Amino acid sequence: MGALAEILFGGLFQGSLYAMMAVGLALVWTTIGVFNFSHGVFMMLGAYLAWQLVETGLHPAAAFPLAVLATAAVGWLLQAAVVRPLIGRANLVLVVVITTLAAGSLIENGVLTIWGPRSKQLPPLVDGNTMIGSIGVSLHQIAIIVVTPLILGALWMFLTRTRLGLALRAVAQNEDASQLVGLNVTALYGLAFAIAAALACLAGIFMGGYRFMSPVMGADPLLKALIVVVFGGISSISGPIFAAYLIGFFEAACSYYFGLYWTPALLFAVLILTLMVRPEGIFSSRGRGLA
Amino acid sequence: MMDQIKRNIRAPGRTPWQREAVGFVLGLAVLALMPFVFADSYSRHILIMAFIYAIVASNWDLSLGYGGVFNFGHLALFGIGVYAYALLTKLAGLDPWLALAASGVVATLAAVLVTIPILRLKGIYIILVTFGFAQLVMQVIISQSEITGGTQGIVRIPGLYLFDHNMVRDGKIGYFGIALALLAASTIFLRVLVRSRTGASIVALRDNEEYAISRGVSLVRQRLITLAASAFFTGVAGAFYAAYQRNASIDVFGMSLATIVLSMVLLGGTGTIYGAIIASFVLTIFAEAMADFGAWRPMITAVLIIVVMLVYPSGLVGMLRAAWAGLTGRLKRPA
Amino acid sequence: MTPILTVEGVTAGYGRVTVLNDISLEAGRHGNVGFFGPNGHGKTTLLRVISGLLKPKAGRIVFDGEDITARSARAIVGAGLIHVPQGNRIFPDLTIADCLALGAYSARARPHEAENREKVVALFPKIAERWRQRVRTLSGGERQMVSIGTALMSHPRLLILDEPTLGLAPRIKDELCASVMDISKGGVPLIVVEQDIEFLLELSRQLYLINHGTVATEIKPGESIAHAEIMSMYFGQH
Repeated sequence: MGALAEILFGGLFQGSLYAMMAVGLALVWTTIGVFNFSHGVFMMLGAYLAWQLVETGLHPAAAFPLAVLATAAVGWLLQAAVVRPLIGRANLVLVVVITTLAAGSLIENGVLTIWGPRSKQLPPLVDGNTMIGSIGVSLHQIAIIVVTPLILGALWMFLTRTRLGLALRAVAQNEDASQLVGLNVTALYGLAFAIAAALACLAGIFMGGYRFMSPVMGADPLLKALIVVVFGGISSISGPIFAAYLIGFFEAACSYYFGLYWTPALLFAVLILTLMVRPEGIFSSRGRGLA
Repeated sequence: MMDQIKRNIRAPGRTPWQREAVGFVLGLAVLALMPFVFADSYSRHILIMAFIYAIVASNWDLSLGYGGVFNFGHLALFGIGVYAYALLTKLAGLDPWLALAASGVVATLAAVLVTIPILRLKGIYIILVTFGFAQLVMQVIISQSEITGGTQGIVRIPGLYLFDHNMVRDGKIGYFGIALALLAASTIFLRVLVRSRTGASIVALRDNEEYAISRGVSLVRQRLITLAASAFFTGVAGAFYAAYQRNASIDVFGMSLATIVLSMVLLGGTGTIYGAIIASFVLTIFAEAMADFGAWRPMITAVLIIVVMLVYPSGLVGMLRAAWAGLTGRLKRPA
Repeated sequence: MTPILTVEGVTAGYGRVTVLNDISLEAGRHGNVGFFGPNGHGKTTLLRVISGLLKPKAGRIVFDGEDITARSARAIVGAGLIHVPQGNRIFPDLTIADCLALGAYSARARPHEAENREKVVALFPKIAERWRQRVRTLSGGERQMVSIGTALMSHPRLLILDEPTLGLAPRIKDELCASVMDISKGGVPLIVVEQDIEFLLELSRQLYLINHGTVATEIKPGESIAHAEIMSMYFGQH
């Protein structure tokens, strides 16, 4: 029973993290059709901004939302600087991979210059530990498990129930038709990036609360997010979310039985297999679209 | 009038091979004379590094620029060359020159392995899989630390030898010569390939996949050839790097190196081979000038990449071509 | 009547390729207008220039007295010039309800959302039956109805339809034709691009044959013209 509980809890926790990491990437891909290779860096940036605000004395309850807003603003700027000007180019996806990679490197080294290489830590969402059955877990982990579905649910509501969310979904599916209906495509692109950045920031805050932050902490989450998005299907947002939890459980089980050692290789094998057998991803339908 | 038409109807950008060969030999001669101009060890080191980067970047141009396949794991092939050489010489005791060649083969095999899953995939999936591949290779090397030294790397790797020449106290001229020879060999290989029928079919696949396939070009075979071809000298360059530095570390798998080399490919202008080479020289010297800038160096490089991509996507070669055309009035097409 | 739209000396194209060569025409002086002509000769490009998706290299577009040449597509929609593009992809994963709601997005159209929705449902009863279905699951004819319905939700002062009956079965074509006639009778001026000359002749009294990116022939109202003659123009006997 202990094994099951540990795997279940581990899976929920990892799954929640992966979902937070992946959904922003999926949002940008399905809306604008580009892969943002600075997504991991945004997680790191969000964590650092939050850390700085907390350092200056702000209570986390105020610091965290502010960091989210600030990161969203940077996301908007990124889009305006290195994505929007390239729309309409042939090889858009490729070029954007390069420019977002470069922008990510820029931000990463900027953070390194400003804050230095020494590890930092964020206060957890909730302090303290508890026992669930026979396993010791931190309240921070429980908070993440609880909060993530709430945030994702809010995102879902936004996309499916609001007019703005509808506009975002429309732009994802047909840009020309969106223009002919009077949508402000430029602003919507910015919004997509801003929301993605905000979500990345949250992921960073979650991570910063239980492990050490460093300027390069975004690299591994980016890879994980990519795996989740590819596995879950890059044609919608819901696919990656399910995939995130699936992979979370898979990873928890792998770590338990085979150790942390082999897990990256196994994950990669999963990625390759998925792409060979079903390149659209496990949970997707043809074509691109949100929700 | 017919003569005028005949003169103007030329495959765009296609200089006749004789002209190219002359230019190549001239360039080679200039580079060969460099160590006599720059007699100090440090300058020669810069040149050697530039040659290594040039090989890696120009081979990346083959798969990326000509093949249209963004192999995000190209630098991993370089890294595989590094570690293959290190392990072959240190653990297996293989002769350094044999190890050099073998490393190229190992890298080629790795490229073939990577190509298999991406044989029929489209754009973004290729980027993702090759990215994942690069990460995986790095993970494997880190995890097998008893053999590979993990994050500490491998030290005291045997260097290359030239008959009885003392490679250590010669002011680096021995390694310089080898590096230049490798660059020459790689470039000849690439240019011959690009100018051949195979090269043309690779480009045809890039430009219009469906049409090329309908005309009998095999997507699978060409992709395999493209990636394998781009891997050999990249692996050799990695082996040479390990032999030259006498150590191996996993830094070669890092994002920063990949970004630098990618910027060389882009800055030079994709689809030219020579562009990447020229850009490698420019950027290596540029980077050296900025060596003391600390974290500012990658930041400036990053800004450079962004600016080039935004403003001048066809890179240096594109700029040069446009300037040349402007001077000679050659590129004017009839309205 | 003054023309609601004039195109004056427009030259436009993509990159180095020029598609429209100094084309001039007007619409609305004599009711609805039809464009026809061989494919690839600029009809769709002309519509894209009018609706602001493509900026011309020379010339101007005047809509109801205002120069809209430099305006964004969004602003042009805001002014009431609505273009229904060719093909009927619209938004494949949105429901019909979503599409219609989207049509009323602009500030001008929003106050009229409810009344326009009723009109659309009255015009295309089939839509009401499939209200919550996604567009990709609909038939070609139904998708076209949704496209036109969405356009109507934008409260158009001028409605431009690009090949509305393309690829549709004859019976559906007739139904659509009747619906478009109803829209016209409802007071919305139309510009229609079509291959189906009969369709055009029923709707409009003024036609333009667009060939090689310019107006090859203008058929003014009152000029009765034989179908055979149009065919010969169309297939180029000059």
